[in-house]
Amino acid sequence: MNSIVRVHGERHGDTPVARVEGEVDASNADAIAAKLHALMTNRSMALVVDLTGTTYLDSAGINLLFAFAEELRARQQTLRLVLAGATPIARMAGITGLDRACPTHATLDEALAAS
Amino acid sequence: MSPVTEGTAGARAERTLEALQQVTDVALAYLPLEELLGALLERIASILTSDTAAFLLLDESRQELVARAAKGIEEEVERGVRIPVGKGFAGRIAAERGSIAIEDVDHAEILNPILSIKGIRSLLGVPLLVEGQVIGVLHVGTLTPRIFTDDDHNLLQLAADRAALAIERARFYEQRRGVEALQRALLPDHLPAIPGIELAARYRPSAVGHSIGGDWYDVFRLGGGLIGLVIGDVMGHGVAAAALMAELRTALRAYALDGHPPAEVAERMNRLLAPRRPTTMTTFAYLVLDPETESVSAVSAGHVPPLVIDPDGSTRFLELAGDPPVGVSNATTYHEHHFAMPTGTSVVLVTDGAVEVRGEPLDRGLERLAALARREPGVERLATAIGHGEVTSGRSNDDLAVLAVHLAELPDRLRTSWPAEPEALGAMRHMLRRWLGRRDADADEVYDITLAVQEACANAIEHAYAPGPAAFDVDASHEDGLVTVAIRDRGRWRAARGRHRGRGLPLMEALMESVDVQRTDEGTTIVLRRTIGRPVAP
Repeated sequence: MNSIVRVHGERHGDTPVARVEGEVDASNADAIAAKLHALMTNRSMALVVDLTGTTYLDSAGINLLFAFAEELRARQQTLRLVLAGATPIARMAGITGLDRACPTHATLDEALAAS
Repeated sequence: MSPVTEGTAGARAERTLEALQQVTDVALAYLPLEELLGALLERIASILTSDTAAFLLLDESRQELVARAAKGIEEEVERGVRIPVGKGFAGRIAAERGSIAIEDVDHAEILNPILSIKGIRSLLGVPLLVEGQVIGVLHVGTLTPRIFTDDDHNLLQLAADRAALAIERARFYEQRRGVEALQRALLPDHLPAIPGIELAARYRPSAVGHSIGGDWYDVFRLGGGLIGLVIGDVMGHGVAAAALMAELRTALRAYALDGHPPAEVAERMNRLLAPRRPTTMTTFAYLVLDPETESVSAVSAGHVPPLVIDPDGSTRFLELAGDPPVGVSNATTYHEHHFAMPTGTSVVLVTDGAVEVRGEPLDRGLERLAALARREPGVERLATAIGHGEVTSGRSNDDLAVLAVHLAELPDRLRTSWPAEPEALGAMRHMLRRWLGRRDADADEVYDITLAVQEACANAIEHAYAPGPAAFDVDASHEDGLVTVAIRDRGRWRAARGRHRGRGLPLMEALMESVDVQRTDEGTTIVLRRTIGRPVAP
């Protein structure tokens, strides 16, 4: 992690939630991946990554989320993304197909309800 | 005058001359202080044919004489003998600032037992004086009773005078070397290089004895393209003030990098310092500059107000007053101030040593600072002038620090170079955002172009495996609504490997009108183009 991004790990019931605030790029993608790994458990059905507070997401971050979607699928779990409305981040998810690789939700509550 | 007297006078003159030569030998001037004192004692003992000789130097803070060098009574130094000023033989010499002779030690008041144990019978001592101030005592002793003549007194005083000057000079250089080393260790050795941000800083130690003080400045990048600017002043001088300064500088940086806004940084600094009252009062100003929004948030803990030079060249002081220095009271809250800093504006931060002259109101110094700022264009020249003490015309003895920042226009044709490391990406993005924002790109256009350019830069960083410190260039231009950005590295293009790699190029293609990758033996250049005002992405 570095000074441009903060990842808050939370648990809602059994579901782990990572709120990513700030800018995700090649300088911190590895550190974020480590934080997400630390949040994963076998008890839950899903891992929720909340990108509402994310102001920047480059291909290193997109790649990281694709890799997590795949890893969770192999464990019979689901990566759920929270993408708020018409933000540049939602646009990037559309351009790269990330929004088709895993379910996306407009709010955290919606993502938790689906988990 | 009889021939005999003449002869005696001649012999005396010769002896005096020889003594002078012995103690003023230029070769001595290059010795470190300890060796100098030893060499002087040898010569003095030989001129005066004494059995012992010793230097005691004044410890001003404790008003004690400390044995620093001795011949014949070396134990004095080994045992660290200390004599209070005014007490005993040496102490009285220092207090009375005149020579004292003791012909029979057995019957005199002697504080130092070593002198009696050694069997010293007679003593002669003189003060070491520099500009009328006592800096120590020089004394000689004999194991046989001796009546010291006026000549002996004069010769010893002569030797003491020369020695005092040499000691003072050696101390001065020793101290200056120490100060310079300390300063180098404590202040940033270089300021961050940020396109569109001009920075200049100076520190000058106190004019009195070149003693280091507690003034400091600091500049660091925060996340999100923000830049932290600090000027501070720990009360007091010397190594203790400098050490506390180093501690506070690090603490402030740590609080700031942890993401705390200016007022909270000040409150944390206060909580850190308040338990050490009352000797550690510190003032500082901490500013966070956001070049993209052209704004500053700031806090001042009782510090000299920052000077603003507006783009039209007029000057004003920022009203940050009201909050006290840190370390004064536990129960202090600090207030954050926000103000606009349009492109073309400069801000000058100083410590009081740069502006304040004793016996004169601070406002006078501030007026002179503002006048100097109106005369000297550019932060580099201004910082140099302030660092030379021009505001106070050399009438301040205090140490001084100055930090000046100028938010410069980014030109239509922008040429920048960055170290090939991922940490450069954030800084590059923020510069590009500011450049695009100044060219009326809308929020989506700014985001898309920035992301595409950053993807190319990330490629450059990954491919930069040429020997030597690797770098990549980002050149941008804007003409008739067309933005062209060329990203150049000196490495070989490599196709992305791994399942989840290789999204960079498709992203660039999705976001820009054209993406040209030019690969040569010298490196790879990616040229990206996009017209502003015509959306290409869905």
